[in-house]
Amino acid sequence: MIVTENLDIAYDQMVIVKQLNIEIPSHKITALVGANGSGKSTILKTMARLLKPKSGHVLLDGKAIHQLRTKEVAKQLAILPQNPTAPEGMTVTDLVTYGRFPHQRGFGSLTKQDKEVIEWAIEATGMKEFAHRPVDQLSGGQRQRAWIAMALAQETPILFLDEPTTFLDMAHQLEVLNLLEELHEKERRTIVMVVHDLNHASRYAHHMIAIKKGTVVKAGTPMEVMQPHIIEEVFGIQCDIIRDPRTGLPLCLPYALSRSKKEQVHHIG
Amino acid sequence: MNGVERRKNVRRFSILATFSVLILIVFVISMNTGFSRLSPLEVFQTLFGMGTEKQELILFEFRLPRIVISMLVGAGLAVSGCIMQGISRNALADPSILGISHGAGVMVVLYLSFFPTHLDVPVLFLPILAFFGSSLAAALVFGLSYEKHEGLLPTRLVLTGVAVAAGLSALMTVLSLRLSRELYQFVAAWLTGSIWGATWDYVLALLPWIVVLFAFVYYKALVLDVLSFGKNVATGLGASVSKEQVKLLAAAVGLASACVSVSGGIGFVGLIGPHLARRIIGPNHKYLLPASALAGALLLLTADTIGRTILQPSEIHAGIVVAIIGAPYFLYLLARSNH
Repeated sequence: MIVTENLDIAYDQMVIVKQLNIEIPSHKITALVGANGSGKSTILKTMARLLKPKSGHVLLDGKAIHQLRTKEVAKQLAILPQNPTAPEGMTVTDLVTYGRFPHQRGFGSLTKQDKEVIEWAIEATGMKEFAHRPVDQLSGGQRQRAWIAMALAQETPILFLDEPTTFLDMAHQLEVLNLLEELHEKERRTIVMVVHDLNHASRYAHHMIAIKKGTVVKAGTPMEVMQPHIIEEVFGIQCDIIRDPRTGLPLCLPYALSRSKKEQVHHIG
Repeated sequence: MNGVERRKNVRRFSILATFSVLILIVFVISMNTGFSRLSPLEVFQTLFGMGTEKQELILFEFRLPRIVISMLVGAGLAVSGCIMQGISRNALADPSILGISHGAGVMVVLYLSFFPTHLDVPVLFLPILAFFGSSLAAALVFGLSYEKHEGLLPTRLVLTGVAVAAGLSALMTVLSLRLSRELYQFVAAWLTGSIWGATWDYVLALLPWIVVLFAFVYYKALVLDVLSFGKNVATGLGASVSKEQVKLLAAAVGLASACVSVSGGIGFVGLIGPHLARRIIGPNHKYLLPASALAGALLLLTADTIGRTILQPSEIHAGIVVAIIGAPYFLYLLARSNH
């Protein structure tokens, strides 16, 4: 389980996150949602020890993650950052192979187990037919799946993803989200992701954390978080919440900017 | 999957073999050509101890050390460039573009201006001196291009490097103005990149550095691969990014300084060598590092051979020959990196 304790995060002098206390439930899909610049991505990166907090702790199974050896953390937690790029000409198999890095020593020859995991990760993400293609020649959705395969090859109980569906078209977005859902169902992995689309969060996540200016406005199930007054506070829009006729889950239908937002827009205009 | 891997390895092996054969061919040509021409037969006779005294002198005391030095310097600069490109994720990074060679140059010139007869310079001491200078330049350039949250900024790195290189070569020229004419010529030669330290002493001074540092870097091949994904992915995979970057950068600076202390600021080898190798053999450093070394050795040996022979009896510095090839290649790289 991952918990943050009184986390303060700052870029140079600018404080982005203040006194953050959140809990990431194990074996569930958690979605961090919030407007642009709300600090959700910063929080994700800090929880994954890519950024150092100004003060406070991130606890991974009770231990401060920033004090642990980074290689040990990499066996517990894999993170797929936003827009990762692979060196030109690197094939999918090569890319996925580097997911074994935390388990390798020194020169890095692959054991039988390493090879099995790599093959499994490629298969699980449906990348088998592209296994020997260069990553830079794949479509956006395929590329994202290749990177997820790399993260899977790390064999970690926890998987973080920073906006895994951004820049993808609708079909590719669903492709990635379905893959994550499947991974959760089959492997019971703890998945934490930053998503822009509220309805995706509601549909795929079990737990949602709505963030505004670096603080939590509301954390809970999609039913608890997807409420008009919360959405208005977090995103500055007015919306109707209806039930998805297929799943019964809440759907957000925005219809107007909030009054305060409107005034801002008028001032700018 | 294993079949594909095996085929790939065969391919990689044959690429490395091809490079080696090409080096051997240029090696033989280079042995044959020069101020006094020797036929291939005479070369082989002399190599096996059946030549005249004059032939032995030419081959063993003049030509062979120079050939060996060119190859070592070419390999060292290319591997240094390969490391810098890997950790900075910028295909334009190389010891001369980043001003690191120039840092070494300034140190060498400073030393020579205090102890003016450069014939007496303790050659084993030069690489250490050069390392000190280039470390200062590297610390400056990389320090200015490092952002706490982003890691190394690839574009800023090259811009800073170009500025530092320009400043340091100006400094070298200023320093050399108050030296003797002989030393001024030495500095001028240094700046264009001539292989001036072409005796066995210099080979001995250079060889251990290249061998030890290459072994260290090769051991880190996997880490270099991981670093070339950038700070975030590399950290996520469990690499101690800053620590590894500093270690590898120190090795790259060490290689460059050792080379530059006997060859002057030869540019472009550290740029073209690894780039060529990467295009042929791919981004995996386990193969890319040796391929870069071989490509660099081939490149500089060829350039020095051409420079030595094309305008006989005068010589064109190897650095100039490399620049004639390197400058257009550099422009091509710039044009290509825009999309």
